[in-house]
Amino acid sequence: MELPNTLSQDGESRGGVLAHLERLETQVSRSRKKLEEPQSAQAVESALGTRIHELRRLRDKLRAEVKHQARVKASTTNVEPDQTLEITEQEILKRKRENVKAILQAYRFTGISGKLTSRGVCVCISTAFEGNLLDSYFVDLVMQKPLQIHHHSIPVFIPLEEISAKYLQTNIQHFLFTLCEYLNAYSGRKYQADRLQSDFAAFLARPLQRNSLCNLLSFTYKAEPEGQSFPFCARLLYKDLTTTLPTDVTVTYQGTDALSTTREEQRAAHENLLFTKPLHQVFTSFARKGDKLDMSLVS
Amino acid sequence: MRREPAGDVGRRTILKIPMTEMMTILKTWNFLSENQLQTVNFRQRKESLVQDLVLLCEENRASLNDAALLDIIYTQFHRHQKVWDVFQMSKGPGEDIDLFDMEQFKSSFKKILKRALKNVTVSFRDAEENAVWIRIAWGTQYRKPNQYKPAYVVYYSQTPYAFTSSSQLKSNLPLLGQALTIASKHHQIVKMDLRSRYLDSLKAIVFKQYNQTFETHNSTTPLQERSLGLDINMDSRIIHENKTEKERVQRVTQEIFGDYPQPRLEFAQYKLETKFKSDLNGGILTEREEPLRCLVKFSSPHLLEALKSLAPAGIADAPLSPLLTCIPNKGMNYFKIRDK
Repeated sequence: MELPNTLSQDGESRGGVLAHLERLETQVSRSRKKLEEPQSAQAVESALGTRIHELRRLRDKLRAEVKHQARVKASTTNVEPDQTLEITEQEILKRKRENVKAILQAYRFTGISGKLTSRGVCVCISTAFEGNLLDSYFVDLVMQKPLQIHHHSIPVFIPLEEISAKYLQTNIQHFLFTLCEYLNAYSGRKYQADRLQSDFAAFLARPLQRNSLCNLLSFTYKAEPEGQSFPFCARLLYKDLTTTLPTDVTVTYQGTDALSTTREEQRAAHENLLFTKPLHQVFTSFARKGDKLDMSLVS
Repeated sequence: MRREPAGDVGRRTILKIPMTEMMTILKTWNFLSENQLQTVNFRQRKESLVQDLVLLCEENRASLNDAALLDIIYTQFHRHQKVWDVFQMSKGPGEDIDLFDMEQFKSSFKKILKRALKNVTVSFRDAEENAVWIRIAWGTQYRKPNQYKPAYVVYYSQTPYAFTSSSQLKSNLPLLGQALTIASKHHQIVKMDLRSRYLDSLKAIVFKQYNQTFETHNSTTPLQERSLGLDINMDSRIIHENKTEKERVQRVTQEIFGDYPQPRLEFAQYKLETKFKSDLNGGILTEREEPLRCLVKFSSPHLLEALKSLAPAGIADAPLSPLLTCIPNKGMNYFKIRDK
């Protein structure tokens, strides 16, 4: 996402920039609820890019207006022109500061952001999956030799000690990027598991079986929303903790009747789907297509 | 009333439940249907209510496992009634990714216990998204399991920590440790020097979840400007002579204890085995070769909050001894102090 990297010299309409940034934020949280196929990262990026251009255009327009107004005001008021100028300067500085603050707050959307603290820096890793902003995790670093983590909000099952031991002292960038990878992947897997549990409970025979890292998921399911039985049992393993798609998928047929060719085809197709598409998307396609499996989804 | 274990355990557990929680707990148990619960008069005296409920349980043919589940639910609601210990497990270096399968863990755990001890009842209840509560009723080679003194274990998958209710039967601890270690694919288990009634506080301490305030650009109140809780300027007629000292104490306390609510512990115990130290030369005790042994125990309804308030109240100097302030960081409230 591009962020404006030039600071305005003159004052600008305060409502314009912050309101637009707020709207961007609510848009992001709203798109999280959509169950449609996700836009590609580039589409989101370009949409945001056009937004920023729009904002800049508006800002320039308002800037010109304000300048014009100030000129008009200065020419009409002849009582203490210096004081008026001083007040305007103060307001300009105030708005500049607020603008910078807003930009610093918006950095959260880039995924890694930070704030200087009295003892070092507090890094914020904001995770996302398919354009949905998910949980944020913090690492509070103390600038000392050796670099130390003061406290953090990383879940205990993420291998923070391992990653710190490898990279914290030698390559802080790699440390943060690796941590970012693990956390984003975990958030993504968790998101898929949560979606399956909450939105597709009707397709599952029993509650989804999962673990802390969401790297082993096991469930018994049906692909037809109207179907009475739950003929398939799926077991997903995510051996690579930096990915959101499984490394191992096993779908077994649980039905009491003999395994017909259609069922076998279905089973194999499901296995393939679960390998290539995020879990909740697979079930969205089940819900949409009914009992007709869209083979075009199998890429 | 039949003296069958299932019925008896069920009856005793239901008797323990306070009337105010009865409906909630029964609904959580989900063993009696809505219709059945509606036929019961919950306004009658507890004894008669319990009789009605036990009859319904018998109608549904409650098994020992169903009764054990109810017992687990009761314990979950009243976890403060037990004292919890913490165990830490470790793996060897360079282990593969932990693909924790809850069903595998449960069956492995149960199998290990049953293989060693024929007379044992093991029950499980999943909790939250990634935890399991285990109830174990211990027996011996010749005696059936004692259903009235069970041990409880709480384990969060893919973490090295397990929480156990202090069991009367200490002889079973090694077997329990073994079962936990093997079933969760760890190599070693060690009992931590940490104990409390407040399971959630123990969890916060070992999972390092107690300090969750972080500085961000999105926070509205800058940390430095927040009131330190000392209203020095309340009345202008009162002059505080030691204002700077008071502010220093506040600052030091805040640095050490932070702004977050402290995890709740009831005590800290220090076993001292040290030689006598004195500024004065000579004296009987300074010549003593053997170390002095004594036990110092601090008790409080909320120990860490109490310690935090000591210096601001003027009772102790700030900063406090690191032996007191290291408790949540080190995850210990039992200490053995010897001369180096």
